[in-house]
Amino acid sequence: MVQEKIRFQPFSSEPIRLVDEQGHWIAPFEHGLPPEQLQRFYRDMLAARLLDEKLVILIRTGKTSFIAPHAGHEAAQVGIAHALRKGHDWLFPYYRDMGLVLAMGVPLVEIFGQTLGNAADPAKGRQMPSHPGSRPLNIFTVCSAIASHVPPAAGAAISMKLRRTHQVAVCTFGDGATSEGDWHAGLNFAAVQGAPAVFVCENNRYAISVNISKQTASQNIAVKAHAYGIPGYYVDGLDVLASYFVMQEALERARAGQGASLVELVVHRFGAHSSADDDSRYRSREELAAERQQDPLLRYQRFLEKQGLWDAQWANELRLEISKELEAALQEAQKAGEPDPLQMFDDVYAARPWHLEEQRRLVAEELQS
Amino acid sequence: MPTITLIQAINTALDEEMNRDERVMLLGEDVGKRGGVFLATEGLQQKYGPDRVIDTPLSEAAILGAAVGLAAHGMRPVAEIQFADYVFPGIDQLFSQAAKLRYRSGGQFTAPMVVRMPSGGGVKGGHHHSQSPEAHFAHTAGLKVVVVSTPYDAKGLLKTAIRDDDPVVFMEPKRLYRAVKEEVPSDDYLIPIGKAAVRREGRDITLVSYGGPMVETLKAAEEMAAAGVEAEVIDLRTVMPWDKEAVLNSVAKTGRLLMIAEAPRTASVASEVAATVSEELFDQLLAPPLRVTGFDTPYPLAQDKLYMPTVTRILNAAKRLLDY
Repeated sequence: MVQEKIRFQPFSSEPIRLVDEQGHWIAPFEHGLPPEQLQRFYRDMLAARLLDEKLVILIRTGKTSFIAPHAGHEAAQVGIAHALRKGHDWLFPYYRDMGLVLAMGVPLVEIFGQTLGNAADPAKGRQMPSHPGSRPLNIFTVCSAIASHVPPAAGAAISMKLRRTHQVAVCTFGDGATSEGDWHAGLNFAAVQGAPAVFVCENNRYAISVNISKQTASQNIAVKAHAYGIPGYYVDGLDVLASYFVMQEALERARAGQGASLVELVVHRFGAHSSADDDSRYRSREELAAERQQDPLLRYQRFLEKQGLWDAQWANELRLEISKELEAALQEAQKAGEPDPLQMFDDVYAARPWHLEEQRRLVAEELQS
Repeated sequence: MPTITLIQAINTALDEEMNRDERVMLLGEDVGKRGGVFLATEGLQQKYGPDRVIDTPLSEAAILGAAVGLAAHGMRPVAEIQFADYVFPGIDQLFSQAAKLRYRSGGQFTAPMVVRMPSGGGVKGGHHHSQSPEAHFAHTAGLKVVVVSTPYDAKGLLKTAIRDDDPVVFMEPKRLYRAVKEEVPSDDYLIPIGKAAVRREGRDITLVSYGGPMVETLKAAEEMAAAGVEAEVIDLRTVMPWDKEAVLNSVAKTGRLLMIAEAPRTASVASEVAATVSEELFDQLLAPPLRVTGFDTPYPLAQDKLYMPTVTRILNAAKRLLDY
């Protein structure tokens, strides 16, 4: 069944692209997607962009301590989200995946709660912003240590195979992560086990300030899949439909018992690495301006226009509606207040051992005095 | 009741737990066909199949990281690190993922897994086959750390560790694998994590140890008894969380604490116990707590026996305490 549906060849020399810069459908097959779904992609990409803009405002007004801008990654992230079976498959995201977790269905209130580190964060304000997670949606909570989530994704995929759950573990990361030992260990083990895992590189060509040319001597990330004996797909991650269809194929391949794969989605990072970074120190404004001309939202807008599914009024109404949702969720999250300070001692272990009881008592006394 | 070695007790515990709960599975280098380099997992792949006893790639990061994902997804993995010294290439997985997953997710995700590892010296293993890195684990919030010294404890504690909802580092002093034998019940029994055992009762001095040096500690206690000094001997069994109550009760009785451990001295489990006793029982102490430990050097092959706490060093330190 899966063999019959194969549309994409691994290890292509040019990135797989289905929609060109002018918005023309250039694939040798029909997309077959209903208008509502095509419009939903746009809505989620726009929501991701507006969320990014909102996060930038929060950092500039001192309301949060850190953000990792994801503008430029929207097509890749929305493509991944829509290919997954939400709440069934597992996602192991990284810190630049705020648009992805939003498209997966993480409530905006939780996203803002995590950004503010307050009581609206399901993880109780334990980590810096841009580290979301959701048990109900099977979204593994982000860990700062780069690529450390790759072997756990492999392990979860092995469990899925053993337990025959028909789930897939999707693990995302940046190009910098591919230099870490954990990355190689995770891909190798998943490949050896024929585990249902899809490893996805959102390659924006910068690991903070280090250009991809200093990160790897490989011609691209996808070719690294050769080393593990799995397919590697080289994809234009500014094309939401290419991202979606390639991810869908990799996911179905995994679900059908054909093992792991590596998908490289080539994207741009329009912002700095993080709010603590000044990217003008290592990349020219000309380079950035040229990349902004290739905005994934604009390309997809052109595609939708040609399908008769986009007009300015609809887009403006959508923008207004999403902005209102964002503002309402932010207001609600802000009302949640600080987490209970004594929660600091919860969740270290399933039950509190004596030494944490003692330390908790100390803080409780200090708070009462 | 069969008389078995420590390594047989571990094999029995794994077998019983795999039989009891189909979520329990093993992974590590050589754990399958070969049954582990020390044969702790011998026969289990033949019995439970290659899916439940996985021969992994030679990668501690893969073993430990995959165990995190397996556990988070609902399995009960028991990972074997071939030698405790080899845990370091996988330490990011143990520290950043296994130990912290429950905390960083606010209790949404957990990693109930066991990491077994042969530790300590005394088998002419040289530097990278002899270390006792328990302090690294004990210092890492989120990990429980067990160090066994008897076959009976090894079976009961390993079964508890497998059923525990937190990641447990389970350390097996390799020099005791076949050196100690005792009667071990064939039925199912559990020993709680965090509870010490009083190996010998006494009124004059408290000797607290765990793992490999329990052998020398008990020998020293016997020699002291021959000289008319009654030492109380406590085996911590779990070093995180360690049994403060048992230690304080004993030292309150004897007024003297001698900590004996094989790991390097500075910033060690021995230091932690000694500091706690000083803080809590200062007025009742007849002498300052002392430590007999391994040294703050890398583990030396040629001085294998001299590096580990010797009976002589234990007796000399005990004399200092008694003469204070």
